[in-house]
Amino acid sequence: MAKRRFWSVLVWLIGLAPVVWLLVQVVRLQQGEWDVLGNEPGRAIVFFTGEWSFNFLVLTLAASSLKRQVSFAALMPQRRKLGLFCFFYALLHALAYSGFLLEWQWYEILNELIERQYLTFGMLGLLLLLPLTVTSTKGWQRRLGKRWKSLHKAVYVVAVLAAVHYVLQIRSDWFWPTLYAMLVTLLLLERFMTSKLIRKAI
Amino acid sequence: MLFKIRRSSEAREHEVTSESVYANRRQFIGQAGALALAAASPVAVALETHDGRSRSPNKPAWLKDKVLAARETPWGADETVAPYRSITTYNNFYEFGLDKSDPARYAKTLQTDPWSVKISGECEAPGTLTLEDILKPLSLEERIYRLRCVEAWSMVIPWIGFPLAELIKRCKPLSTAKYIEFETLLDPKQMPEQSSRFSTIKWPYREGLRMDEAMHPLTLMAVGLYGEVLPKQNGAPLRLVVPWKYGFKSIKSIVGIRFSEHMPSTSWNGIAPQEYGFYANVNPEVDHPRWSQASERRLPSGLFAPNRIETQLFNGYDEVASLYSGMNLKKLY
Repeated sequence: MAKRRFWSVLVWLIGLAPVVWLLVQVVRLQQGEWDVLGNEPGRAIVFFTGEWSFNFLVLTLAASSLKRQVSFAALMPQRRKLGLFCFFYALLHALAYSGFLLEWQWYEILNELIERQYLTFGMLGLLLLLPLTVTSTKGWQRRLGKRWKSLHKAVYVVAVLAAVHYVLQIRSDWFWPTLYAMLVTLLLLERFMTSKLIRKAI
Repeated sequence: MLFKIRRSSEAREHEVTSESVYANRRQFIGQAGALALAAASPVAVALETHDGRSRSPNKPAWLKDKVLAARETPWGADETVAPYRSITTYNNFYEFGLDKSDPARYAKTLQTDPWSVKISGECEAPGTLTLEDILKPLSLEERIYRLRCVEAWSMVIPWIGFPLAELIKRCKPLSTAKYIEFETLLDPKQMPEQSSRFSTIKWPYREGLRMDEAMHPLTLMAVGLYGEVLPKQNGAPLRLVVPWKYGFKSIKSIVGIRFSEHMPSTSWNGIAPQEYGFYANVNPEVDHPRWSQASERRLPSGLFAPNRIETQLFNGYDEVASLYSGMNLKKLY
């Protein structure tokens, strides 16, 4: 139990650290310091929150893979938290984009979401995270019963959407987008290979 | 009024020093001579203490003197110039890294002195010119230009340089020279990112102009900015500045100039021709496939005031419009 508490606290700390750091930077910035977040602080925040959302997405998916492959199960009870942090940063990401970069001009935001493919994928991913976030409570888990598990498999779709959203933005350097896309592919493949259907067939 | 609401275009208190020093730079320079402050220009001294970065852009000494003697011109006199720190810490210079802050951090390894430029192709006077050779017969001038990046941000920069046309005339291009091609230094030891496996750019970086664009009086070769020798992260010691085109056309740290009959292949255009045209004229009506070019973020921007302004055709330099009369700019973007 102590072990479980340790991991819980650790996930809380890792989950909150980026947003706390960001808040400190914003306060410093608003107080007139200039060497924080660079010359385009809005853009820096959009990138930062997007990366952290993806980090938590990968961690969420990795929890069960790690258990299956290397018998490391400590993340399993933390999956709800990890998933919620993923949604939290994705939401901040979308808000920062709309507010800091497009200044809440709704028509323009809508226009961009439709016109720019990478944005469409990102938005779909965020929308799909919504029902998962809402039904993440124990109450909903009970209410939905078996259907809860199948509903939450939608996170696989989210992972694919997020990876496409990132890869479509490659301009010159393809290292990070490719790395994240490969992680997602690996984690989904692992599930496929270990699924009952495949195991029976083999 | 109890509270002063700051517009993002307004300078904050900490920004004012450098700008006021800069505005009175000539006066300061005179005083400096009297005080025999030989190490660096007073502008640089003030800026250095101000932004707390150690840097030594004012080398070599002969170039520093030349840059300090630059004459002011009316170009951009009514513009609000970006702070020195913005211009020198927010750079796209992929040879030193992909992050905007990488060039300021890593460009130290670039050796800008001695420097020479190889002139070749369709001209009567090919050969290799040192930077001194190039600058000797020229006097420098300061021009304040708007720089619009293809990534939809922009800055106002006080360049110091000379019209490219003056250099071209000395090369005596043949009538067959329809285009001019530029090449950046290729040396992974000095430009570490050139050995990266994760970049799609084929080094060296190349850019090009049509001859009439290159000869246009607006087209500048810069060797300095903000009253000092060009910092390395800004493309020292010699870079192109074409203010009506997206920033990626304004190639940095030039070592090669070639006159050619055919349109040269250029770096970004080669990677993604549907995103980056050869002409790359600033045009609010032709979007980048992944973002709108109708507006731009004028930097430095505040968090809650992104300082967005509408983008103008040719970045507002209407005098170049005649170069493109009869051309469909939506197709030849």
